[in-house]
Amino acid sequence: MDEINEAIRKFQKELNAGTAALVLLGVLDKASSPMYGYQIAKLIEAQTKDVDIMKQGALYPVLRSLEAAGLLQSEVEPSVSGPPRRYYKITETGRLTLAKWTEIWRQTSDLVNAVLEGGDHD
Amino acid sequence: MINSIEKYLAELKRELAGSDRATVQDALADAEEYLRTALDNAMQDSPTSEAEALAAIIEKYGTPGEIAAAYKSVESSSPLAFARPARNEVKSAASAPVATPTVPDTRPFYVRFFSVFAEPRAWGALIYLLFTLGTGIAYFTWAVTGLSVSAGLLVLIVGLPILALFLFSARGIALLEGRIIEALVGIRMPRRPLFTRKDVGWWQKFKNVFTERHTWSAVLYMILQMPLGIIYFTVFITLISFAGYLIMKPITELVLDMPTFIIGDYAYYTPVWLMPLVVIAGILLLFAIMHLAKYTARLHGLMAKYMLVRE
Repeated sequence: MDEINEAIRKFQKELNAGTAALVLLGVLDKASSPMYGYQIAKLIEAQTKDVDIMKQGALYPVLRSLEAAGLLQSEVEPSVSGPPRRYYKITETGRLTLAKWTEIWRQTSDLVNAVLEGGDHD
Repeated sequence: MINSIEKYLAELKRELAGSDRATVQDALADAEEYLRTALDNAMQDSPTSEAEALAAIIEKYGTPGEIAAAYKSVESSSPLAFARPARNEVKSAASAPVATPTVPDTRPFYVRFFSVFAEPRAWGALIYLLFTLGTGIAYFTWAVTGLSVSAGLLVLIVGLPILALFLFSARGIALLEGRIIEALVGIRMPRRPLFTRKDVGWWQKFKNVFTERHTWSAVLYMILQMPLGIIYFTVFITLISFAGYLIMKPITELVLDMPTFIIGDYAYYTPVWLMPLVVIAGILLLFAIMHLAKYTARLHGLMAKYMLVRE
């Protein structure tokens, strides 16, 4: 059973590594105003219902690396209570990248679905 | 069992030991932002015990171990703060989640040498080094004034709070200087103040300011900045004007008739056949200056990172 669990965990982790960036870009592309990490995490949580796909803390390093790559930009604003918050918004490069990524994602998921659902092998 | 945010952050810091310092600082700031916001919300919705609420929040956010692993994996796939570009050394193809790894610079030597003028980093470095004269004088004045005013008043008790205020200001300046260095030189520096502990009183904070190595090294940095600024400014302005002098040589000597040097009644001129070589030497010197600026600024940045960034 341990081997299966390990395999599940590894698969989920590798999948997340690719999709987290896509999801974050997607969320920020739809957002009407800049958002900070906690807000983004809660928004994603609301959409995933009860499934615990990835730890919310793992989103932050991805946000930072997206910013380093120029796809997002951010600024820090003090908050009324607690530490200052880093607000992220998508850049023009980010939008263009997202369009390309979405295309790739569609192709990939079509392929995977087609294979998994089976079909006629002729 | 983690029952406070401070414990969580300490644990996370321990897990991240050995990572780039700026990464550690980012990770702590991110975690603090999330945990505090989440805890505030949880306490408003249903006031349970803080430890209980925190356990649920950490379950969502991830344990220090998991979070440290996430930062490490992203860090390993993006260029480090001051990593040298790896030289043709093919790293084992580690899984690269998002960012692209550092591209090794495989261009031939002469291309690298002459392309320096097209590198924003080199221009940024040169500007930083020349500006250091100004910031250096400002920092030095502030540091010396702060230290001497508080030292003078230390016999009266008012000297102590004044010294503390000055030391707090030194931390702020350290952060500002870090931002300038990251913008111009490209060395990764902290992007915001390190988390402030909520579990210690103002008296403890007041004491911490005196006992942390970082505070005093920041003051030392402020003082050092002036002599360094003067040296950088003098050396680079001299080199640039000398290069300009060499390049302008044919005009000054052949058109304006200014001799190379004069001893007594004799004026010495550069032979005409040497002129093209002199001009070429001047142009080469300009390129060399840009490289020198790049390396000096990087060295300075590493020193700043060591002296200004809190561990």
